[in-house]
Amino acid sequence: MTSEEAAGPRDIAVVAFAQTAHRRSTQESSEVEMLMPVLHDVLAQTGLRTADIGFTCSGSSDYLAGRAFSFTLALDGVGAWPPISESHVEMDGAWALYEAWTKLLTGDADTALVYSYGKCSPGSVRDVLTRQLDPYYVAPLWPDAIALAALQAQALLDAGHTDEPALAAVGARSRSDATANPHAQLTGRVPQGDYVVRPLRTGDCPPIGDGAAAVILAAGERARRLCERPAWIRGIDHRVEAHGLGVRDLTDSPSTRLAAENAGAFERPVDTAELHAPFSSQEVVLRRALRLDDGVRVNPSGGALAANPVMAAGLIRIGEAAARIHRGASDRALAHATSGPCLQQNLVAVLEGDPR
Amino acid sequence: MPEVLKAPLVVEFPFTRSLGPVQSAFLTGLRERVVLGVRTTDGRTLVPPVEYDPVTAEEIHDLVEVAPTGTVTTWAWNHAPRRGQPLTTPFAWVLVRLDGADTALLHVLDAPGPDAVRTGLRVRVRWAGERTGAITDIACFEPYDGDPARPGGHSGAFEDPLTGIVAPARLDYTYSPGRAQSAYIDALSARRTVGERCPSCRKVYVPPRGACPTCGVATAEQVEVGPRGTVTTFCIVNIKAKNLDIEVPYVYAHIALDGADLALHARIGGIPYDQVRMGLRVEPVWTEGARHPDHYRPTGEPDAAYETYKELL
Repeated sequence: MTSEEAAGPRDIAVVAFAQTAHRRSTQESSEVEMLMPVLHDVLAQTGLRTADIGFTCSGSSDYLAGRAFSFTLALDGVGAWPPISESHVEMDGAWALYEAWTKLLTGDADTALVYSYGKCSPGSVRDVLTRQLDPYYVAPLWPDAIALAALQAQALLDAGHTDEPALAAVGARSRSDATANPHAQLTGRVPQGDYVVRPLRTGDCPPIGDGAAAVILAAGERARRLCERPAWIRGIDHRVEAHGLGVRDLTDSPSTRLAAENAGAFERPVDTAELHAPFSSQEVVLRRALRLDDGVRVNPSGGALAANPVMAAGLIRIGEAAARIHRGASDRALAHATSGPCLQQNLVAVLEGDPR
Repeated sequence: MPEVLKAPLVVEFPFTRSLGPVQSAFLTGLRERVVLGVRTTDGRTLVPPVEYDPVTAEEIHDLVEVAPTGTVTTWAWNHAPRRGQPLTTPFAWVLVRLDGADTALLHVLDAPGPDAVRTGLRVRVRWAGERTGAITDIACFEPYDGDPARPGGHSGAFEDPLTGIVAPARLDYTYSPGRAQSAYIDALSARRTVGERCPSCRKVYVPPRGACPTCGVATAEQVEVGPRGTVTTFCIVNIKAKNLDIEVPYVYAHIALDGADLALHARIGGIPYDQVRMGLRVEPVWTEGARHPDHYRPTGEPDAAYETYKELL
């Protein structure tokens, strides 16, 4: 139980963030071997041990590497004995963070460890992702992840919201920014390349890679003791759209807008936005939905176009935004995570640092 | 460090899925070359039809036939078809709003090249020769410059409606077991069993998974254990497994190899099944060319005292 007063919702912050160097393949490591250094890193930043953590929550998908129950094996890296309070979501780690945030809100815990990992290298991720689609009408056609993103990109071109040079510029800017990110997989000048599925070219698509990330959340005074400048979660919400692609307007993201509204994103401008847009065209959709103007620094980390360990890439957006607040490079940042085809489900968090 | 081990891994399963009434009518309709939509209470027609209104979540079931002709609402050119996709030659992915529908259906369009495709293109269904009641009963769409076809006014009631579908799924992987398990498998190839010791609690894990599940730290110090061990607990298997050439009943046991702090499991042979007991001392039996012991058999030593293995049950 906690020592915080009961009045009002508790202030909860991201107090530490760690991630792997994301790479095309980590075949020399099992999932827990890949994840463990990140867990140790994030704990060491706060001085906490596993036994000090009130709640642990993870996000991953066994389908990526084709390993049944890999999420239970990953728990070996936490040190889950004596039994810990623990949960797992078959989703990006951003949704594990959401669960941990609600757990802390209830007052059941003061600290939470959130982690996620994805090993894309053992399989063909664009085909693996077909298995998340409607199994009756869609999955039997095996429309891979790039094909579905390309349908969305063409809809944007038809609507005049972007053109191919503008899409290429999104990729180029992302990989240029990623040169300052030692964890990024694809950095610097990368050829835009040929069509993968037209209108998307190689440069519009994320690199395929493996990686892991972890954050620690803490409530109230505990957060201040663990971190010099906590990244307070001022609001967080996630919304989903209809699963039928032909029901949606693919050029817009009402779920992102609604989540942002509920998270308080439109109350005051943000200076930074970390957007989980695995395809260049999706950044176009998100910028419009979130009403981000040119004054907002978008994806200074390079975003998912520079490193896209599936299931971790969304949590990394929250971690990157928080880390920017920790080091004083941002005062108010928006972090976004997505799941499903063509931005089907979206999570938005607003993070703030204390006034300097 | 041994080289990284790799092996192909195929995960394959024929999912058997039951259908709701709307899905059943739609897929049965495709079998009969009829395309059905479902009407929402605010008058929209959804194709493909769903059981619940995606906006209001209301249960909907008012079926209405739509035309097999329609208009492309967006498209994407796929120059390299992948396994399982409807066409083996280059094609366009399309969302098609059929005439009479308010929403679009995902499928593929057979066209000579990307220059022949645009949003707004008129298309029609090309039916598969053999139809079973599946989305693939539509073989694909094809360009069409005629008038919109007139839907037949089908009620959606069929004599022999589908109640379920079988949806096969297959994913191919290249499995790599990681550092600790690679070292374990590598040692086994020389008929040695090598575990790893936790630097914190000093326990030796066999087989090692690279981390101590109690302490949450990496194990690295390799420790050869066995080859002999003690049966800590066991069961008698009376059901013959498919494709397994072992006579039942047989004994499957937890075996704590000497020096290990975690029991592994294996079959016990060389002793009648009803004489196997806790504390029995056993040793591995290898067969030529095997990657792991075929089974374990009694060593003839006196049984181990309960105190020596009670933590390893």
